[in-house]
Amino acid sequence: MDIGHHTSQQYNHELEDVRNMALQMGGLVEEQLNKAMRALMESDSQLAEEVVNSDYKVNRLEVQIDEVCAKIIARRQPAASDLRLLISIIKSVTDLERMGDEAEKIARYALTSQGTSSPASLHSSLRHLGNEVRDMLRDALDTMARMDAEKAKVVGQSDERIDAEFDYLSRELLTHMMEDPRNIKQSLNTLWCARALERIGDHSRNICEYVIYLVEGKDVRHTAPKNGTIPAI
Amino acid sequence: MSNATAIVKAGLTKRYARERRFRLFGLVSIVISLSFLAALLITIFAQGLPALRQTYIQLPVNLDPALLAVNASDSPELLQKAKYAKAIEAALIERFPGVTDRKQKMALIRGLLSKSADNELKSQVLANPKLIGSQQNFWFLANDDIDTYIKGNIDRSLPEADRRIKDFQLAWLDDLEAKGQIEKRFNTVFFTSGDSREPEQAGVLGALMGSFYTMFVTLALSFPLAVAAAIYLEEFAPKNNPLVDFIEVNINNLAAVPSIVFGLLGLAVFIQFFGVPRSTPLVGGLVLSLQTLPIIIIAARAALKAVPPSIRQAAYGMGASRMQTVFHHTLPLAMPGILTGTILGMAHALGETAPLLMVGMVAFIMSVPEGITDPATILPVQIYLWSDSPERAFVEKTSAAIIVLLFFLILMNLLAVLLRKKFERRW
Amino acid sequence: MNTVTLANDSMTFPSSGTTTTSSVNKTDVDIHSVVEELKRAKQAVGKPFLDNPKFKTRDVNVYYNQTKQAIFNASLDIGRNEVIAMIGPSGCGKSTYLRCLNRMNDTIPGTKVTGDLLLDGEDIYAKDQDPVLLRARVGMVFQKPNPFPKSIYDNVAYGPRLHGLAVNRSELDDIVEQSLTKAGLFNEVKDRLNSPGTGLSGGQQQRLCIARAIAVSPEVILMDEPTSALDPIATATIEELIDELRSSFTICIVTHSMQQAARISQRTAYFHLGYVVEVNDTNTVFTNPGHRLTENYITGRFG
Repeated sequence: MDIGHHTSQQYNHELEDVRNMALQMGGLVEEQLNKAMRALMESDSQLAEEVVNSDYKVNRLEVQIDEVCAKIIARRQPAASDLRLLISIIKSVTDLERMGDEAEKIARYALTSQGTSSPASLHSSLRHLGNEVRDMLRDALDTMARMDAEKAKVVGQSDERIDAEFDYLSRELLTHMMEDPRNIKQSLNTLWCARALERIGDHSRNICEYVIYLVEGKDVRHTAPKNGTIPAI
Repeated sequence: MSNATAIVKAGLTKRYARERRFRLFGLVSIVISLSFLAALLITIFAQGLPALRQTYIQLPVNLDPALLAVNASDSPELLQKAKYAKAIEAALIERFPGVTDRKQKMALIRGLLSKSADNELKSQVLANPKLIGSQQNFWFLANDDIDTYIKGNIDRSLPEADRRIKDFQLAWLDDLEAKGQIEKRFNTVFFTSGDSREPEQAGVLGALMGSFYTMFVTLALSFPLAVAAAIYLEEFAPKNNPLVDFIEVNINNLAAVPSIVFGLLGLAVFIQFFGVPRSTPLVGGLVLSLQTLPIIIIAARAALKAVPPSIRQAAYGMGASRMQTVFHHTLPLAMPGILTGTILGMAHALGETAPLLMVGMVAFIMSVPEGITDPATILPVQIYLWSDSPERAFVEKTSAAIIVLLFFLILMNLLAVLLRKKFERRW
Repeated sequence: MNTVTLANDSMTFPSSGTTTTSSVNKTDVDIHSVVEELKRAKQAVGKPFLDNPKFKTRDVNVYYNQTKQAIFNASLDIGRNEVIAMIGPSGCGKSTYLRCLNRMNDTIPGTKVTGDLLLDGEDIYAKDQDPVLLRARVGMVFQKPNPFPKSIYDNVAYGPRLHGLAVNRSELDDIVEQSLTKAGLFNEVKDRLNSPGTGLSGGQQQRLCIARAIAVSPEVILMDEPTSALDPIATATIEELIDELRSSFTICIVTHSMQQAARISQRTAYFHLGYVVEVNDTNTVFTNPGHRLTENYITGRFG
C-alpha cells in the first residue's frame, strides 16, 4: 500500500495529512477510552469529568476530517486505492466518533456509580473486558497506521473473544441481580459499561474491515458466517 | 525592479529602433517597386491611349457610273470589280484642284488616305448600290503619317526636309481642318482587324484570337492532365517510392526549365516528328501546355495537400473508397486552389513569347484565325513584331496592344481572386 | 487527477530536485523490466474474454513499419451492446487498436496487422473481406469534429447515398431525420438542414458526426477521443448520447479522460506501451484495479 508517488506532490500531501488526522483521532479515542476505564476502575471522578469534557475534541476532529475528505474528492476525483483510502477514512472516523461517545458514556457511569462498590469478581471481569477492548482498539489503529491487511484479519477476529467475554459478564451480572434485587441498579450500570466496551470492540472490528477494504479492495463486511469470524480471504 | 527587468528595459530602446528600421525598409522597398510599376503603366498608357482614336478625312465622292464602269443595276460580282480607286482619285483631285505637280499629285493620291480607302468605298457601295450615280460624302481612314501629325507627333516647326509631312501637305490638312473635314474617331479598326503593314489598318483582333485559341488548347490539354497527375501523385502514389520521388523531382525541375527550351522541344517533336502544322494555335498550345503542366501540377498538389486529413478520415470512416474520397471530398475542397493555380499558370502562358517564336507563331498573318489549325500569331508576339516596325505610328499600336494584354492578364488574375473568394470553404 | 496522466512516465522523473544519474539509470531499468513483465504476461489481467462477444481479437500485433511495433499480442473481447473504454497514456496503442477494428489502419502506408480480429466470428482481415463494407458495419467518430463542408442534410445523407441505402428521396429524408433524432440533434437543426454543417457549434458538429455514422446503421461505433475538443457541457451531452446509443450499438471509445471512461463505459481496457494490461468491469478497474500499472495510471502516480 502506497499513498505517495502521485505526479502531483500536493495530492500526496493532502492524502498524507488526512490520514494523519485520522490516526490522530484514533490516538485521541484510545486515550479517552483508557482514561474512562481508569476512572471507572479507580472511581476517579476528576478523570471521568476530564473524559466527558474532552469528547468534543473527538467530535471536532470527525467534522474536520470529513471536510478535508470532501474537499479532496471534489478536487481530485480519486480512483482506485486513493478512493478506497478516503472511503475507509470517512467510515473509520464515524466509528471512531462512536467509540469516543462510548468512552464518554463509560466516564458518565463512572461518575454516577461513585461511592458504590461491586463485587471484586465483577470488577475484575469488567477490567479484563476493558483490557481486551483496549488492546483490540490499539491493534486496530495499528493496522490502520501500517495498512496491514493480514494483521487486520487477525485483529478483527478478537472481537469474537470480546463478545464471549461480554456474554460471560452479562450472565454473571444477571446472577448477581437475581441474588439480590438491591444490586440491580449498580449491576445495570456495570452492564451498560460492559455493553459500551463491547460496542467499542465492534467498531474496532469495523476499522479492521475498512483496512482490509483499503488494502485489498474487498468489502468483507457482513460476509462473516454465523460464528462471527472474518473469513480468511 | 529586479535585475532581469532592468536588463530587459535597457535593451528595449534598441529593440524598438530595430523594429522601426525594419518597417521603414519595407515601406521604402514597397514605394520603390510601386513607383517602377507606376512609371511603366504611365508610359504605356500615355503612349497607347492615342491609338484608341484614329484620324478620318471626309471626302465628297462622285459615284459616276462612267468612272466606276458599273451601273446601279449590275450584279454584285460586277460591283465588286468596279473601279473605286479611280473614283477616289477623281474625288481627291476635285477636292484639291490646285495640285498640278506630279510629285504632289502622287502624294495626294497615295499619301492622304489609307490604302484601304477604295475597299471602304466598295463595301459602302455594295451595301447600298443605289448610291451609284450620286455625289456622297464619305469618311475615309487617313494615312498613318497624317494620323501621326494630327495626334501631334510631328513637329511643324522642324525644317521641311526633316519631316515626313511636307509643307504642301500641311496646307491641305489646314484646309481640311478649316472645313471640318478631318476628325478623330474611336478606332474600331484596331479591335476588328488583323495585322497589316499599314499601321492605320493594323489591329489586334488576329493576335487576340490567336492567343485565345492557343490558351484554349493549352487549358484543354494541361488542366485535365495536370489535375490527374496531381491527384495520382498526392493520393494514390506509394509514399517513399524512389520512382515516385524521381518523378516529383523532375516535375519540380520542369517548372524551372527556360521556356525557349520548350519551344525547341516543340519544334523538334511536334512539328518535325508529328507533323503538326506550324504557326498554328495547336502547336503553340502544345508547347505552352508543356510549360504550364508542371505549374498546375505543383499548385494542384499544394491545394490537395492543404485539404485537412480529417476530411479524408471522415470519408474513409464512412466507407468511401479511395476514389470516392478524392472525387466527393478532396478534389472539390482543393478546387479553388487548383483553379487559382491554373489561372495563374495560364496568365503566365498568355505572356509567353520565346517558345512560340520557335514554332513559327512569329509569322506575319493578316487574317484573323478561325480555328486552332489556322496560322496565327499571339498578343506578345504581335507586340514584339510591332515594336520592331519602322513606322512611327506603330509605337502607339505597340503600347495599345500591351494595354490589351495587360487588361487580359489583370482580368485573369481577378478571376483567380474571385474564384478563390467564392469557393473558399472553411472547415 | 483528471489532467494527470502517465503520458510521460517513461520519460520524466519525479521533480523532487534530487534526480541523479543513478536514478535515471534506475528508471531506464524499470522501463525495461516493465516491458519484460508485460511480455511475460500471456494475457491481460481481469476478464478480457466474454461469451459470445461482438468482437473477438486474439494476439493482435500491429507494425507501423518493419521496425516499429505499435501493439503486442493484444487479446480481448468486446461485448454486444456494451460501451468499452480504452484508456492509457499517449502512445500506448489504444487508438491504433481501435483503428484496427474497422481497418482504418489500411489507409496508413506500411501498416501491418497480424492476429485474429473476428466480428461476429468473421475474420475482418480476411482476403475477401471488403474494407468498404466493414466500415459500413463498423462506423467511426473522430477526435476533432469533422463534418464535411456540406449541408447538415448532405452530411447525414452521405453514407446512405454512398451505400445506396435509400431508394428515393423520402426514404433518405426519413433516414436523415431518424439519425439526427437519435443523435439528439434534430430539434436543434430541423429548421436549417440545408445550412452548412461546419456552421454548428463544436458539440453539435460532433453529434452531427455521430448522426452521420449511425445513418448507415452500423453494428459497432468506434469513437476516438470524441469529446477531447469539446467543452464540459457539450461533453456531457455526448456522454448522455453514448449511453442512449448503447441499446442499439456496440461502442468502443478511446478517451484520455479517466472520469469519462468511468462515467460511460461498462468495461475498461488499459493499454500500456502497446500491451493490453488489464480489461475488466469499469467498476472494478476504478475501485480496485488488478494491475499495478493500471492503478498507477488511474490514480495519477508515476512509475
